[in-house]
Amino acid sequence: MTASTFESKSVTVGGARIQYFMGGKGAPLVWLHGSEGNLGWLPLHDELARNFTVYVPTHPGFDGSDRPPWLESFLDLSRFYLWILQELGIIRTTLAGHFIGGWLAAEMAVMSPQLAERLLLVDAAGVRPREGEITDIFLHGGEATRRMSFFDLKQVANYELLFGSKPTPEEREAHVINREATTRYCWKPYMHDPALPQLLARLRELPTLLVWGREDRVVPVEAGELYRRAIPGARLEIIDRCGHFPHLEKPAEFMRIASSFLLR
Amino acid sequence: MFIMRFTERPYVAYTEADVRGSFRSSVRLTFSNSHFNPELGADLYNEYLDEYELAEEAGFDGLMLNEHHNTPTCMGAAMNLEAAILARITKKAKIVLLGNPLPIFDNPLRLAEELAEIDMISRGRLVSGFVRGTGIESWATNTNPVHNRERFEEAHDLIIKTWTTPGPFRWEGKHYHFRVVNPFERPLQKPHPPIWIPGIGSPETLEWSARHHYPYIYLETDPQVTVQMTELYGKAAAETGYEAGPQNFGYLWRIHVQDTDEKASEVGKGFLIGNAGIGRVPMPGDFMAPAGYNSREGSKRILEQYKHALKPDALYGGVDSAGWDAVVGSNRVVVGSPKTVIRKIREGLEILRPGILGMWTNDGTIGHKDTMRCLQLMKEEVLPALHEMGKELGLPGPFEQTP
Repeated sequence: MTASTFESKSVTVGGARIQYFMGGKGAPLVWLHGSEGNLGWLPLHDELARNFTVYVPTHPGFDGSDRPPWLESFLDLSRFYLWILQELGIIRTTLAGHFIGGWLAAEMAVMSPQLAERLLLVDAAGVRPREGEITDIFLHGGEATRRMSFFDLKQVANYELLFGSKPTPEEREAHVINREATTRYCWKPYMHDPALPQLLARLRELPTLLVWGREDRVVPVEAGELYRRAIPGARLEIIDRCGHFPHLEKPAEFMRIASSFLLR
Repeated sequence: MFIMRFTERPYVAYTEADVRGSFRSSVRLTFSNSHFNPELGADLYNEYLDEYELAEEAGFDGLMLNEHHNTPTCMGAAMNLEAAILARITKKAKIVLLGNPLPIFDNPLRLAEELAEIDMISRGRLVSGFVRGTGIESWATNTNPVHNRERFEEAHDLIIKTWTTPGPFRWEGKHYHFRVVNPFERPLQKPHPPIWIPGIGSPETLEWSARHHYPYIYLETDPQVTVQMTELYGKAAAETGYEAGPQNFGYLWRIHVQDTDEKASEVGKGFLIGNAGIGRVPMPGDFMAPAGYNSREGSKRILEQYKHALKPDALYGGVDSAGWDAVVGSNRVVVGSPKTVIRKIREGLEILRPGILGMWTNDGTIGHKDTMRCLQLMKEEVLPALHEMGKELGLPGPFEQTP
């Protein structure tokens, strides 16, 4: 199968220019990136684009997209994203996201259940673990966080390409911008919304899959278990020998699990 | 020239190995407070207050305090408490707070009340400095660093309005919301206690200070950069419609005096321990300046400004990395007999031309006894000479000429 083509586009929402990648054919699927920012059109998106029209937006305030000056909190971000999807003409879509992108997908789903066709959360933030805790990525710093994000770097085919060890000045600047945006939205309460677990019960009609790396040292599997318990009918799939980025570290296994859910 | 005395009131009973054992090897933020012994702390707080009493007697015009959190380098975690004590036990000297870290206060009205009390108890001797705080202050209080400057400016505006506008009034800003602003106790000084702004020269803060006519106190910054920063302040002042002079600037300087040069050099090395540990055990950059603490534009301007100073032999890289002889040789730390110290200070004043001189007389392992001797020599020989020098060099302080 040949790789699908994709386009780099932008949409202006409430005065802010939001960048996104788009490709494929079929029903819409929105992929929401994590704190590292938009890594571009990945092999993962290519795979998904075989069956979906895939949207990969850059979150407001992350490198590439404007932040409207009033947008300060994770709640603001979630509400604003519903507007972004509205401007993209998306009425009903599969919502998928990793880490804070997963959290974002969950917030949008509970705010607007009629929007969501399916929900796919990957090592998502948003729910505070009771036994463990979500690692303080700000306190550890960018480099240490990246190191602890993978079970085995050798499993990440394009690691150098994605997180190159010698960033250009532009890449370094983008990294700071992304970290600043994550700080703005996720500083306090740290990486979670205390109301979310209660609201997730609203998603009883929504097919939901949770995928976690068993060795995720950023968001422990326990958080996935709490999501599973909070969303009636949700399934949790745990991938062994895998860290915080299953879609990068175990792409084949991840796609197999995701496809069986998405194409069912 | 207005001359004030300063020490960070350090806690030094720990080793470099202890620091290296902390999370990310940092002397601030994550260095465990299990290393703190309150018995020793009790002695130190009292000794430090004794020193400030002697500093007043020695003829210092001001007693300067600062505040930091989660760190052994400065025991002034609740600086206003020390200020309140000094307000009562001293009689003449100004109590100079440099300064209260505004962004970390969720209730700036409480701060307005505390400062008003200090001003009244001291019968109008408070100088109320405000700072953004280092990133550590944001971490320690879990204040989102991306709002640091906004909160600084809004808290400032709220406090000034609280002090100058009859209440009750309503404040609904971005970060602060109060529907009945009416703290009953107002400060004694009119329209409000003087405001000074200390810092290492963030261009945005320099310009903000100039626009408000607030003297800017350089915290032992690189001399060449300091001259450039003074020009920047001067430009903003001119745009505001006035001419900045020495009364608009202060310079904080580590200065330790003993009876002989040899003794001073030996004792002065104590500066290297503790606060100067910033050089000895480098702290993670994202502890001092987490993402968002400075705007992108501000960060670029700071880097540009410090471009030439970011070299290994500059103090900015840490006293230790430069080496004691280099630091003393370049006058970044002044130690010596009264005669030596007076000569060296003059060299600095001629270049920097501040109307406020902060004398950081002791820190690190410089002990209480040596500090008391230092203050005694300041009284007998150094301060009289410096007051004359200020007049001779035409360096009026902010109480001689309005900034």
